[in-house]
Amino acid sequence: MSDRSRRSAAETINLMVHGVLAVGLAISATLMIAGVAAGLAQDQNLPKIVLSVGAALRRGAKLQADGLLSLGLFALILTPFLRVTGSVVVFAKERDWRYVGITVLVLAIMIASLWLGQL
Amino acid sequence: MEALVILAVAVVVGVIGSMLGIGGGLVLIPILTLFLDVPMKTAIGASLVSVIATSSAAQLVYVGRGLTHTRLGMTLEITTTLGALVGGLIAVHVSGRSLQVVFAAILVYAAFAMGSRRVDDAGFVPTGVLDTSYIDPRSNAAVAYGVRRLPWGMSASFVAGNLAGMLGVGGGLVQVPLMNLVMEMPLKAAFATSNFMIGVTAATSAALYFGRGLIDPHVAIPTALGVLVGAQLGPRLAGRMHSATLRWAFQLVMVVFAVQMIWKAVR
Repeated sequence: MSDRSRRSAAETINLMVHGVLAVGLAISATLMIAGVAAGLAQDQNLPKIVLSVGAALRRGAKLQADGLLSLGLFALILTPFLRVTGSVVVFAKERDWRYVGITVLVLAIMIASLWLGQL
Repeated sequence: MEALVILAVAVVVGVIGSMLGIGGGLVLIPILTLFLDVPMKTAIGASLVSVIATSSAAQLVYVGRGLTHTRLGMTLEITTTLGALVGGLIAVHVSGRSLQVVFAAILVYAAFAMGSRRVDDAGFVPTGVLDTSYIDPRSNAAVAYGVRRLPWGMSASFVAGNLAGMLGVGGGLVQVPLMNLVMEMPLKAAFATSNFMIGVTAATSAALYFGRGLIDPHVAIPTALGVLVGAQLGPRLAGRMHSATLRWAFQLVMVVFAVQMIWKAVR
């Protein structure tokens, strides 16, 4: 691969990383702050357990504190997963198969961890 | 009410941590467990969540300036995530007391390791392995460098990931000196690249903790929001405080916390 195309690949990666992290952080922080505000407004204590994805979506849609807070936590934990997924896509577009392999492996380990938590 | 206390503590820790360039987990976990009666594993879960938040926020700056060596970071992530997975599994299976003892040992190490970093960014050269470059923000000069001893870096990154997953700290404690001293990368690039990897490492173990019900929103949310706010304020306040005094005071607090944690674990 020439120096120039490697440089442009690096710039594409940087833009992708910046975009995913900025959006993920904004969404999760907004949901968490909204959840805390909803909890204060409804005079509730913050919940002690994270809801299931389905329950969080249902309660979040009704602007209930526990739903919003669980969704905020999901968004935050999911952001790095999406950053790695984005890297797989960028490297595949660049046909840099070595780094496709590396990032797929990282993603597989992350998913294995998520799965091991459910056992 | 308790959530407000946690939020306030997290803001202060975020401010000080960002001034000294260390993650908040090292101090947050002892405060949560020693003074606020949070169980060890819940404190670790909360710390992991806040590590994802703060490292993502810091990465926006680092990657924007082109300081992050993304290819190297992604390569080392293979072993840090593997380490985080194993560390997370160890943490959910052993007792909170054993984790406290290991944590105390790392805390003492961190207190002594702080301030013994190589600070100059000169004398780094391309090596033919993962060569890259960045524009130094201070001098505006291009710094070109490569890495050395990649297999060593990969192995030691497993240890960094393992500590992160097991104890809920970022892992920069191991990763930054490793990249700077062993892999011979400039310090700025080492900080940026370590930070880049930390979010993914923490998310790997946070996913495991989450499945085991060890992420408690009542502790994790005020912690994450507090550290996030504090870390934005820290650099703005940095000029007004004497950083050597602050560092010295912090090192002392870390050692005191370590002693208290061991005392609590064996009592």
